[in-house]
Amino acid sequence: MTRIDQFESVFKAAARDVYEPHHHDIKNVLLVSDLPEKDAWLYAAGIKRFLAAVDPDGAVHWASAHEDRGRTVGELLEVVEQEKPDLICTYRSLYSEGWRWPFSLGEHLDVLTQAVDTPVLVMPRPDQSSYWQQEPAGTARVMAMTDHLDGDDRLVDWAVQCTAAAGTLFLAHIEDERTFRRYLDDVIAKIPEIDTDLAEDLIGRRLLKGPADYIESVGEALREAGLKIQIESLVSFGRHLKTVEDMVTDKAVDLVVMETKDDDQLAMHGLAYPLAVELRSVPLLMI
Amino acid sequence: MRSPAPRLLVVAHRLPSSWIPAWTFARHAGLAFLIFVLFPSLAAASGDGEGAAGGHHAEVPMGVTLLFVGLLVAMILCLAFEEKLHAKKSVIVGIFAVVCLFVGDAFHLLPLGPVVNAFGETLNVPVYIPAIDWGVIAIILGSSLFVDITSRSGLFTWIAIKLTKASGGDPRKLLWAYGIMTVVFSAVLNNVTAMIIVGSLTAVSLDKLKRRSLLLGFLMVEALLTNIGGLLTLISSVPNIIVGQTAGISFVRFFVVAAPFVTVATVVTLLLGARFFKIESLKSEDEIEEAARLVSGFDENDGIESRGFFIFGTVMTMAFICAMAMTSVTPVLRDLGMGYVALSFAAIMLVRFKAVADTFYQALDWDLLAFFAGLFVVINVMEHARVLALIGQGVEGIIGLGDVAGTGAVLLSSAFFSSVTDNIPLAAMLAKILAGLGTAPDSPLWWAVIFGANLGGNLTPIGSASTLVAVTIMHKQKLQMSFGGFIVKALPYAVVQITLAVAYVLIFLR
Repeated sequence: MTRIDQFESVFKAAARDVYEPHHHDIKNVLLVSDLPEKDAWLYAAGIKRFLAAVDPDGAVHWASAHEDRGRTVGELLEVVEQEKPDLICTYRSLYSEGWRWPFSLGEHLDVLTQAVDTPVLVMPRPDQSSYWQQEPAGTARVMAMTDHLDGDDRLVDWAVQCTAAAGTLFLAHIEDERTFRRYLDDVIAKIPEIDTDLAEDLIGRRLLKGPADYIESVGEALREAGLKIQIESLVSFGRHLKTVEDMVTDKAVDLVVMETKDDDQLAMHGLAYPLAVELRSVPLLMI
Repeated sequence: MRSPAPRLLVVAHRLPSSWIPAWTFARHAGLAFLIFVLFPSLAAASGDGEGAAGGHHAEVPMGVTLLFVGLLVAMILCLAFEEKLHAKKSVIVGIFAVVCLFVGDAFHLLPLGPVVNAFGETLNVPVYIPAIDWGVIAIILGSSLFVDITSRSGLFTWIAIKLTKASGGDPRKLLWAYGIMTVVFSAVLNNVTAMIIVGSLTAVSLDKLKRRSLLLGFLMVEALLTNIGGLLTLISSVPNIIVGQTAGISFVRFFVVAAPFVTVATVVTLLLGARFFKIESLKSEDEIEEAARLVSGFDENDGIESRGFFIFGTVMTMAFICAMAMTSVTPVLRDLGMGYVALSFAAIMLVRFKAVADTFYQALDWDLLAFFAGLFVVINVMEHARVLALIGQGVEGIIGLGDVAGTGAVLLSSAFFSSVTDNIPLAAMLAKILAGLGTAPDSPLWWAVIFGANLGGNLTPIGSASTLVAVTIMHKQKLQMSFGGFIVKALPYAVVQITLAVAYVLIFLR
């Protein structure tokens, strides 16, 4: 009964994921650093300027977990429990020299992104002068990045909320080209019943259509909500890390938003972790 | 159109193994009953050639007639055991057509020799060519091609998704929308395609609405409605075409007679379905809002590749229905018949795909068409061998029960046989017999056969191709549905529908 499959496919294709905006309240922000208290608040001031789009009236309450508060991971988690923040701001390799060797995020950040539901904003380190010597430009150009964008309302919500009023939001969906080619060349091309060229064309188009339709619905939803944020779609095949790095540079992105958790895995999302390690000079919001 | 014959075989091998004994038993029981009722006069003389089908044929020795009765019974048995034989029905019937022609000629039963056509020209046409009812074949071929090409325009999926969105995702409204859509699609397309379209959409939309628990109820109701929709027009099911053509019932008259019953039966089935399967309306504002949001995600334009072809397909579908309806009163078309109309529309639609027309020819159900051709040949030989006259005596016995009891008995027995055997040979044979008995075109007996042959499909999951498709979708969706379970669930509906049909035929059509 292939016709059942045919019509089921038609209807499944027609059942698009449509973006529905939700607002996430940000009333309390916790700054986590290994700086002395005074320096911590100076550092926080820079982040506040950067996040002006999130807190235009300065109404957000800020707390700090600095050098004497939350030195160990356990203590830090206790502080988070006490403060109940809506957003955590921090940087890589707390209480460690690991930042000299850019191969990890440091144990504090590793645990924070996984053990706590609160989104974590990872800023360049305070000693990264190349970033901090100029006034942070704010969040006029934000990129939400994933390899499964359609239906990820939460990711888009946070990206929209962080984008400045008349800013640009890049919605990027990178379909891994190597995986696609592996299935195509190593599997489909070896099955005589399947027309390889046709399969490449149809599967390729279908993989990109879902996220493209979803991005269209984001644009519609924002227009309906009266927001003036400009949406730019970046949907393509590519090599995850390399393509995203190129996009971030080409588009001069101020903030990258990405998922670090999904339903199927407890560890940080496969793409998010290497990106967080590599993109050291661009702020990342890890939700 | 209801087209169970070859599709039953296609789907049969996908049934759970536990179904096979039940199916085989049902078919055997049906066969025994069929033989018992239709051949009560086996012991009697073959008659004098008057009063039953084929009265104009020469005297045939009883022994020869019985030989062909044996062949007919063997063919029906082979069709019943098709899944064991691993043979398509077209092959089974084709073999019997070959044998019947050979034996028929050996006994000098066949009217061989040149044929004189309408122009008085003498033609040498093989005897099996005029044996086939080409009008029926043309309607089925043309309609199938037309529907297949038109479905490429995205029209039917567009309608289906529009209705889904119009329901706002409310389960009760969705049931009514899908129910009515099933009836209309069954009437305009055919009941298998209708079940596939509506059943697939139901599975996807209830999944999206997070109401999978209602899927079984929806699919059951839709399956039962396909055979109701199959009664709406002359071209909605194959028995309608065969009986309607034989009785000389026009498209419009068929619709006028069938529509009131179809309307009432649809409403009753939907009300019963909502009650038995507890398909309720949404109560809270939050639920209503959430459901509306979820169905709003459907994009009805997703399946439309060309806006121009979509509009063309829509216009042509409406024109097709109008042309079919007007055939009997339109000059020229009246002479050429509905088969010509169906083939013409198919040809016009093919222009859009002229470079790849062969793909549509490949997709045609050749098994169904070959099955019909073979069946017509077999029945024609049976007519010459006076087998139909013999069966006609049995049918005469049933009709002889009286105006009320006879008509009712014909409807009930047609429904019963149709539930366990193929309704197409049944309809073809009964149509020929009724014609042979000189049944008047306005006789309720024609309607008794039409209603019985269609509604009988609702008694068992193997009663019609569309109910079998519904069960296949259920299994694909991992829903438990046994052979007996289907009968238990479907029986109340089928009993109500058949009772309504008996009452309708006896009160309004007698």
